[in-house]
Amino acid sequence: MLQYTLRRLASAVILMLFVSFVAFALVFTAGDPAASIAGEGGTAADAERIRSVYGFDRPLVLQYASWLGRVLQGDLGQSIYFNQPVTSILIERFQATMLLGVLALCFALLLAIPLGIAAGRWPNSIVDRVALLFAVVGQAMPTFWFALLLIILFSVTFPILPTSGGETWRHMILPTIVLGYFAAPAIMRLTRSGMIAALETDFIRTARAMGIPSSKILSSYALRNALLPVVSLAAAQFGFMLAGSVVVESVFAIHGAGRLVWESILRSDLPTIQALVLCFSMFYVVLTLVADIINAWLDPRIRDA
Amino acid sequence: MDSMLLDIEKLNVTIDTAAGPLKAVQNVSLRVAKGETFCIVGESGCGKSITALSLMGLMPKRAKRRAERMMFDGTDMTTLGESGMRRLRGNRISMIFQEPMTSLNPVFTIGQQLTDVMRAHSRVSLAEARERAAFLLNKVGITNARERLGQFPHELSGGLRQRVMIAMALMCSPDLMIADEPTTALDVTIQAELLRLLRDLQQEFEMGLVLITHDLGIVSRIADRIAVMYAGQIVEDGTADEIFGNPLHPYTQGLIACIPSPDHPRMQHLPSIPGTVPPLIGGLKGCHFRERCPYAMPSCMEEIELKGHEAAHRYRCILPAQTSAAHAKMAQGEQVHA
Ligand code: SF4
Repeated sequence: MLQYTLRRLASAVILMLFVSFVAFALVFTAGDPAASIAGEGGTAADAERIRSVYGFDRPLVLQYASWLGRVLQGDLGQSIYFNQPVTSILIERFQATMLLGVLALCFALLLAIPLGIAAGRWPNSIVDRVALLFAVVGQAMPTFWFALLLIILFSVTFPILPTSGGETWRHMILPTIVLGYFAAPAIMRLTRSGMIAALETDFIRTARAMGIPSSKILSSYALRNALLPVVSLAAAQFGFMLAGSVVVESVFAIHGAGRLVWESILRSDLPTIQALVLCFSMFYVVLTLVADIINAWLDPRIRDA
Repeated sequence: MDSMLLDIEKLNVTIDTAAGPLKAVQNVSLRVAKGETFCIVGESGCGKSITALSLMGLMPKRAKRRAERMMFDGTDMTTLGESGMRRLRGNRISMIFQEPMTSLNPVFTIGQQLTDVMRAHSRVSLAEARERAAFLLNKVGITNARERLGQFPHELSGGLRQRVMIAMALMCSPDLMIADEPTTALDVTIQAELLRLLRDLQQEFEMGLVLITHDLGIVSRIADRIAVMYAGQIVEDGTADEIFGNPLHPYTQGLIACIPSPDHPRMQHLPSIPGTVPPLIGGLKGCHFRERCPYAMPSCMEEIELKGHEAAHRYRCILPAQTSAAHAKMAQGEQVHA
């Protein structure tokens, strides 16, 4: 297990370096960075000055090395729009996004996994039908529409929850439901099919023939096998919830990272965009790593492969 | 009669299929005494496995079981609910299967799976259960038993996994073990070893053993009593001596003629009975073996009952015993000349 973890960690670091280079190079794909920082009214002399201040005139590898050095020290540059260090902006924004993402993931898992288990245990039963309906609705409904629906229901018709903002836990309830509900159907369907497949295996027949109680068969013998693919899916979903929560953050007026991406693109705030790309891709790398390690912990065959 | 461990009378299993009800097991009656080895023989698709699974109450979802009597050591199993059956399974009746590669859970250690069986049936500490597991792994011929407890199934060969299965089945010292083609998936040398192991363990643990196989060669080495199944029915049963010495049903005679004998070790083709087991959907009339039987005649269309003495030898064929025995002699003669 330790060996697997170390090996996986090493490849993650290599991947991170590669990704960071891509994020770094992003600045240059968008045209001459000095010119874009200088803005529309900037002269050639301005651009030249910026070029030497920012070090754009040095060889690319050197620029990357010094950039990476700064990033590792937590310096992601200066936001052009806010005129503040990008790092402090990101920390503030990611707090909200992370909180929302984690809550939504928990909500999705708590909803989807028990439902998936029940649906897989009793396929074609009432439970299964209800679960299917829930999944179809969840996948078909546009997020913004569902969000507005909940706002109308819980903030307007029955004013028990706030409509927008992210200040208290009560502000987080509706966004969590919207974001989580969006991720739940896929997890539920995968749990269900994993459960059905697992319950038909020879080793479950063995467990039954040995008199293992059915509650244990369901919750441990079958579930552990059924969850293997779910872990990877949940990790991908989580990544998506972090990066793709623009709609939810906008509807509920949460100042999160998802919205920052959108805003920064509109403002062509290049350092901020670059930092966001870097952060989100790092998240994906870390999430995949975590998912792989959880899977290896769940399934010994992966460890030895 | 009280020495009977398992006493099954007229067991029927019907499976609902899209094409109609499939009568997989029809009026099967069998009795297994304590410490006895009882073999159920037949080609695949005869209903052997489903018979065994329904004894355990583990039929497929769409299968229905009906029986006049299902007694296990004085307990009427038809009155036991699922929870009562669960308490018997793995505890007093255990079962091992044909597929050693897939019969163990890939994500739990051998030790965990073995101890779980014991802890499902009795209040023992984990340490005690591990002790027992190591002891049994040793018993089934696995070296380094303690280290094996920490290993996962994929780290073991097929033969070793089947030994682990046997150890698992013995965790609670069952009174009866059902083994469904336990050696079929393994190579020949391991087959022989495992068979010897099963026989030794059976004697040591004084278990009844129900062995299900298509291989009469195995049966001849191990059986006390035999039931030959064909297309959902028992066509012949009796003591091993009777069945091998004086087979009366043409199907049994055919199966015996197909055993590769040590006298002609490598024949060009292993002889086999021509034809295949008929589909059981809708129900067959008359003798089920009719289409493949060399002696079939019009009166074989009638419903045929098992005849003979129940304890010693019964068979399901209209031919008188003498005629049938004479056929058997002739068939054997042919084989010698072949
Ligand atoms: S009853 Fe007729 S068909 Fe059936 S085994 Fe006997 S002789 Fe053959």
